[in-house]
Amino acid sequence: MARITIDPVTRLEGHGRIDIFLDDEGKVENACFQIPELRGFEQFCVGRMAEEMPVITNRICGVCPEAHHIAATKALDGVFGAEPTSVAKKLRELLYMAFFVTDHTTHFYALGGPDFIVGPDAPPSERNILGVARKVGLEVAGEVIACRKRNHEIITFLGGKSIHPVAGIPGGWSRPITAAERSQIEESARKNVEFARFSLNLFDKIVLKNPVYLEMVTSDIYLHRTYSMGTVDSANQTNFYDGMIRVVDPEGQEFVKYHPSDYREHITERVEPWTYLKFPYLKKVGWKGLTDGIDSGIYTATPLSRLNISEGMATSLANEEYQRMYETFGCKRITEARYQPIHHRLATHWARLIELLYAAERMLELALDPEITSPETRNIPDPAKFVGEGVGSVEAPRGTLTHHYITDQRGVLTKINMIVGTTNNYAPISMSIKRAAEKLITSNAPEESILNRVEMAFRLYDPCFSCATHFLPGKMPLTVAIRDPQGELLREMRRKG
Amino acid sequence: MTAGTVIIGMGNPLLSDDGVGIAVAHAVAERLRQEMDLTVVELHTGGIRLMEAMAGFRRAVVVDAMLSGAVPGTLKRFDPHDFVTTKNTFSSHDTDFATAYDLGLMARVPLPERVSFWGIEAREFDLFGERFTDEVTAALPGAVSRIIAEIIEWEAAA
Repeated sequence: MARITIDPVTRLEGHGRIDIFLDDEGKVENACFQIPELRGFEQFCVGRMAEEMPVITNRICGVCPEAHHIAATKALDGVFGAEPTSVAKKLRELLYMAFFVTDHTTHFYALGGPDFIVGPDAPPSERNILGVARKVGLEVAGEVIACRKRNHEIITFLGGKSIHPVAGIPGGWSRPITAAERSQIEESARKNVEFARFSLNLFDKIVLKNPVYLEMVTSDIYLHRTYSMGTVDSANQTNFYDGMIRVVDPEGQEFVKYHPSDYREHITERVEPWTYLKFPYLKKVGWKGLTDGIDSGIYTATPLSRLNISEGMATSLANEEYQRMYETFGCKRITEARYQPIHHRLATHWARLIELLYAAERMLELALDPEITSPETRNIPDPAKFVGEGVGSVEAPRGTLTHHYITDQRGVLTKINMIVGTTNNYAPISMSIKRAAEKLITSNAPEESILNRVEMAFRLYDPCFSCATHFLPGKMPLTVAIRDPQGELLREMRRKG
Repeated sequence: MTAGTVIIGMGNPLLSDDGVGIAVAHAVAERLRQEMDLTVVELHTGGIRLMEAMAGFRRAVVVDAMLSGAVPGTLKRFDPHDFVTTKNTFSSHDTDFATAYDLGLMARVPLPERVSFWGIEAREFDLFGERFTDEVTAALPGAVSRIIAEIIEWEAAA
């Protein structure tokens, strides 16, 4: 089997190396991305007190410490049998919404947006956040920085510490907020709503009103009819902080809805001989290889899939945008509020902006909740209710995040398991890369643009392995090596970073 | 209004040698805090976060692990203009430091007049643990001394 390697993926990941495997006839057989695995996490944690986990796991990843902190805290609620107070849940969700706003904003302006706003065929040196600002106005640079700053300030005082929150405790939240802090949150949330609307308008003006880009978004190059996964509240609307896991099939029919603690009954992993990545899939559908359709257990957990499983959005402005997206794609309603799923993966960027607006609106709702300044932020765990096992699950920006801890009677960890957001999407990411690679092999398009199409496949999923970035001082070239089945180099494409 | 010097330790303190930048930053701050306006910051990821962390300071020193193929424990200093990245100064989720710095200038963020980067070659960087390897442990005092010397020199020139 021949192999093509793209290493590294610019703008995304140090060692998110892409391997493309050819068969003897030179056709693409498989594609995947390789990331170095961190070792020894389980051994590192076993033997520690479970309550350390929210501050240990928030260091696994520099990009989404908040997601790990909240998932770990929820797992501890389970371990200690301590139901959080009502305001504690709201404070956790409030911090989480501020985090979602910054994370989705950063992805759109720094990673996903440049492909559209600057253009997929622009030189890589321009296809970045600076290029976006030059195209749409320099003030947008200030807006992005201001958005990050105001939300980071809120995360810092809500979470008790800059960058790595510490306020999550079993049964609650260690820090109530003052009336003055609430006002600051409200003011920031209002600005976030406006900024999210501005971003959606920008997407509309530059992408949707441009026939070339609209065609790219709605083309079948990254079309995969997989199952969709996300977390829903009691009204079956997407919720990032808490709820049941809902999975719909490629046609949009609900396949299953389960409690996050039952994840092992529904999700399992596939090991393939050609990669060390383990591909999660729906156990009850089964593994059919890197293929889509109703008989393949591959599912997707992304902003787009979260909209696919949701009966409209829970906030009004986001719901309007939600309807507009599905109607643009010509999807029919299958329930009163929900449409047939969208499987065009580039629409994930659009979905991400709709989620940005939802997070901003939800943040405002929570800031206006009369209970939010209540000092009743914790239920002290009752030793008689100690369970010794807990599963905590949230929607991380890049997919469903699950933490599962088992302890002994003293609360000392004996076993841990995690499924991080990006992991859910290993199979769909590989499928999108494969699809783009098929064009790479057969097309006569310029190398630069083909390479970027492969990267676009990767980027739209917003994969995050920041804990595993291994860059060297020096140049950051992008290299594609095409090799014959004997490993001989046939062709090499290279560009400088 | 700008403050004095910020020393930014980058890396993950739970990933063996990856935490060396943070350890060096704290050791430098410990020695110099009484003598000057010095702030220490821990950062796990670079890119825009790194640019934001140095906003408002006149001078910034960034210390990070690196994987350059050099002998573990090797210390190297980079100027911003010839610098691409050490292990963590790039963010997989947004951009490299150079782009983030230009973004800051574009957004009129008050950025330092002087920035230096220090890389310490790591040996063990993908294994969870809170200890450095012997080579990196041995390199730590030298790195601390050289960074202190640079900061004192900057102060004297200011």
